[in-house]
Amino acid sequence: MLHYIVRRILLLLPVLLGLSMMVFAIGRLLPGDPVLLAAGPNATKEEVAALAVEFGLDKPVAVQYWNYLTGLLHGDWGRSLQSRGPVLEDLKVFLPATLELVLAAMLIAVVFGILLGLLAAVKRNGWIDYSVRLVSLASISMPRFFLGLLLQLVFAMWLGWASLGGRFPLIASPPPLVTGMLTIDSLLAGDLPSFLLALQYLALPAMAMSLSPLATITRMMRASTMEVLQQDYMLTARALGIPPGKLLRKYVLRNALTSTLTVIGLYFGWLLGGTVLVESVFDWPGIGLYATKAIMMQDFMPIMGVVLTIGTLFVTFNLLIDLLYGVINPKVRLG
Amino acid sequence: MNESQAWARAYYRLRQNWLSLVGLVLVVFLLVVALAGNQLAPYPEHISGSVDTAMRFQAPSSAHWMGTNEMGQDVLSLVLGGARISLFGGLAVVVLAAVVGTMVGAVAGYFGGWTDEVLMRLADLKLTLPGLILAMAVAAALGAGTMNMVLAISLSWWPGFARLVRGEVISKREEVYVLAARALGAGSVRIMWRHILPNILSPIIVKMSLDVGFAVLTVASLGFVGIGVKPPTPEWGLMLSTARGFLPDYWWTAIFPGLAIFLTVLSFNLLGDGLRDVLDPRSRR
Amino acid sequence: MERRSILKGAAGSAVIASTLGLPAIAQAQGRKILVIAAGQDIPNFDPHVATGYSASMLHRNTYDGLVRVVGAPPKVVPHLASSWTISPNGLEYVFKLNTAAKFHDGTPVTAHAVAYSFKRTLRLGKGNAWMIAGVVDPNGIEAVDVQTVRFKLLKPFAPFLSVLPWQFIVNPVLVETNKGSDDGQEFLRKNIAGSGRFKIKRAEAGNLYEFERVASPWLAGGNLDGAIWKIVRETSSQRLMVARGEVHFAVDLTSEDMDSLKDNPAVVRVLEPEFRTFSIKMNTAHGPLADINVRKAISHVFNYQGMLDAAGYAQLMVGPLPPGLMNDPKLKVPRTDLEMAKRYLAKSKYPNGGIKLTMVYVTGLEQQRRWSLVLLDSLKKLGIELEIKPTLWPDMVASTKTPQTTADFFPVYQTGNYADPDNVAFASYHSSRNGNWQNPVYNNPKVDALINKGRGEIDPKKRAAIYAELQQVLVDDAPDIFGVLEKRRLAYRKDVQNFVFTPVASNAIELQNLSLK
Repeated sequence: MLHYIVRRILLLLPVLLGLSMMVFAIGRLLPGDPVLLAAGPNATKEEVAALAVEFGLDKPVAVQYWNYLTGLLHGDWGRSLQSRGPVLEDLKVFLPATLELVLAAMLIAVVFGILLGLLAAVKRNGWIDYSVRLVSLASISMPRFFLGLLLQLVFAMWLGWASLGGRFPLIASPPPLVTGMLTIDSLLAGDLPSFLLALQYLALPAMAMSLSPLATITRMMRASTMEVLQQDYMLTARALGIPPGKLLRKYVLRNALTSTLTVIGLYFGWLLGGTVLVESVFDWPGIGLYATKAIMMQDFMPIMGVVLTIGTLFVTFNLLIDLLYGVINPKVRLG
Repeated sequence: MNESQAWARAYYRLRQNWLSLVGLVLVVFLLVVALAGNQLAPYPEHISGSVDTAMRFQAPSSAHWMGTNEMGQDVLSLVLGGARISLFGGLAVVVLAAVVGTMVGAVAGYFGGWTDEVLMRLADLKLTLPGLILAMAVAAALGAGTMNMVLAISLSWWPGFARLVRGEVISKREEVYVLAARALGAGSVRIMWRHILPNILSPIIVKMSLDVGFAVLTVASLGFVGIGVKPPTPEWGLMLSTARGFLPDYWWTAIFPGLAIFLTVLSFNLLGDGLRDVLDPRSRR
Repeated sequence: MERRSILKGAAGSAVIASTLGLPAIAQAQGRKILVIAAGQDIPNFDPHVATGYSASMLHRNTYDGLVRVVGAPPKVVPHLASSWTISPNGLEYVFKLNTAAKFHDGTPVTAHAVAYSFKRTLRLGKGNAWMIAGVVDPNGIEAVDVQTVRFKLLKPFAPFLSVLPWQFIVNPVLVETNKGSDDGQEFLRKNIAGSGRFKIKRAEAGNLYEFERVASPWLAGGNLDGAIWKIVRETSSQRLMVARGEVHFAVDLTSEDMDSLKDNPAVVRVLEPEFRTFSIKMNTAHGPLADINVRKAISHVFNYQGMLDAAGYAQLMVGPLPPGLMNDPKLKVPRTDLEMAKRYLAKSKYPNGGIKLTMVYVTGLEQQRRWSLVLLDSLKKLGIELEIKPTLWPDMVASTKTPQTTADFFPVYQTGNYADPDNVAFASYHSSRNGNWQNPVYNNPKVDALINKGRGEIDPKKRAAIYAELQQVLVDDAPDIFGVLEKRRLAYRKDVQNFVFTPVASNAIELQNLSLK
């Protein structure tokens, strides 16, 4: 078991290295002159050149990459040309917001997806099959940003139940900073009213993000559960008189979850990179918005920082899924 | 069985699957609209940029079924006009990604060894990076324009095809007919083109059909942020983004483009789902 | 099931929170906090580096300048300087400082601090330095004694007093202690070394900035304990928030938003003319528009009414200078006249059109998109095709380097940073701005001479005559399609008191005298 874990973690390192190289290449290959904007409309040629040196843009590409890599490992992820501040600082501020959104969305999707999938599989008949299929296809076809706008229109503008955007009421003081995720921080501080407020603001954007993974997880759970239910060992277990609750937990869930786990891992990565538009609709200050602003200003250090962060988190999270896989399904460990 | 019998079987199975038939009908309808949009539109001049500022923000009526927008343009005409960009953009992305991905995957799968390792590592790495953000960054850097947008999105799309094709090529590589062709002295390219590729076509087509919907969604997403087409070309994502500021009062400027995106993506997904059931029964759920 | 009850609880508190509205929360805690919704972030606090209306808001509330500008028409009033004298030749200004003024750390604002700040501005050459670069002699800034500071100018500059509100005084001791290797830029990026009535309590980049009143401000006024500058990117969200009482001020509203707020009894709408011009500049140095007949043809085919309709609350420009800044009311400007347009075009190389011109505009700026469509529609009547290119701002700036890379049509908003005709004239038409987004290519020596004369002339009557001549030359030369002056569109809740509209930087809300009921 330990051997398996160590092996998988070691394999992570060349992947991360490759990621950094790919991200750097993409960043430097993009055309445009970002130094010009950062210098301002009234800057002289000397000032522009000085700024280019400050950002190391006058050295050959290979040297730039080496500096970039060593910088990354030292915590220097470059500076934003716009704010002239360190990118890592910006990421520390914006990443938790996106993580909170993605985790909340995945929580909704996983919990309800598994439940609905099990339900649909257990109660199988033609009518339910078709409607689950249609509804899940409709759900993954619905553009997240349109859904977000509709939710905003109905719940915030017409009914007035939710606020239009943001993460927390303006005047209230947020809970003390631990993770940067307001819901978790309020729980850690034992502050229930803040927790409820943060949840209220989180609800709509999380719902908008969760629909797509919810639909897919439902379908996967339904399919793999149906497969499991048909297996011989299920028949044996039922004949032996094992109670339904234990049946569900020990046999059905464990076996049906394996393929769903892969989807969960993939969706986590896709959602991380896919919050851009929902963050825009709900004014959610996460890395999606941060990246969008950087793109509009051709500010490549923040763009690279965001892309690298998401790639790294994706790879790490999938590693965790793989390890979890190994725990659930011993066959994988020995392979 | 021979080819035509296989297709007949496939068509029979498709007919049994009524949801997919609905998808097929809708997709055909959308293609017709995309091709003939300018003729079908009640106010075609609005699609090419004419404005009528005296008629701004008219609610849906008999003269304008979907109302007018902030420049007095007929929303129905713009939605019809936008179909062309969205559909052809989505299709172009998928076709380009499929072509590039197939080439890469075929080379990797057939030759194996280092080529395979390097190409697949590249593809895997690409898959971990956020596709939408990268597409936005590249499209923004290349500048406005449909072709730039298609190129930018395809750059994020090809790895999926590469992996699929590589797997298929590896499984077909050791087939008898391939060994026979090699024994007869056929070159690699000829083998790939004439023997392997025709036999792996159906999973590629399945993936293409499943991906078109999401490609259309990505085109609209870029439009929503403001990257992609140039005015006066109507694009559903851009229309939705502009209309955000007019909610809730002038709701028709947002609802109709949004529904258009939704229905288009849904149609392609229905069709793709059905095609998958039909052409690739192994993966039927 | 536990999740459901949490959701119910959240829904319940949501109902309560939204019915109460936030000002109620502020009152409940006994503190008067003004909440402003705005679209622009404040990434950099340095008063000698940062620009933009959001930065101006921060600076005018946490720092002070020698004078302030207030009211419509804008007037310069004493602030850090209680009085001043100007030499008859306009080359020397001597300011006497207000002895009560002190920095946040309690030390007085001295002449040395003033000299230090101006020198730093000129040294860095960023931010608002352009307003005084080439005007103030860097070696002529002298602290005569603790309360007196003298400025020697390189040449007479009539608007000098008008630019002073935007030159902020920093605490030299604090800056020197934290100088680092970049002249204190890293320190002042995140910290305040000022004397203003407020300081920063909380800063969340990209999200909000909270101000709180300093314990013993040197100038009294208003009853605000603090304020929050909340970044709300969507104007419709700003509109909804001010309508529902979630914020007190919304500063980035569109004409449609203003219409939506018309019947709201709790909201005060501000729809005032300002000095912010919008024109479409034509490439006079390269391409078909170098021919004045083509430019005049286009100036006469353009659908001005359409532009006005699409703009909403605005008025058409009646010349290169906005009303109130020495514009000439007798000036005649082109209006839509298809016959005249065709006549001009007939005199050019393209009597039937048949050419394709390009226009760029900043991606995401909705108004500019609308006007580009109006231009496209208008040009169709002359048989001219228009290719519209939404462009990222850095690329637009880069494209103005040479006439060859500049597009045929280039839209420009000219903000009145200071209330003086020189602001618009110099930035928009002086050839020293060529290669720059404010005036990419237009170069007319006659115009340059008139502008130089105008900024150096102290006598108001003589100045007016110079600017009248300038405007006639510009209209005859037709370098721009003179567009619109959008009205300033703000809205605020009725419980905000003492808000005085000033047509300069009106969206950089000055908290000084505001009160909440």
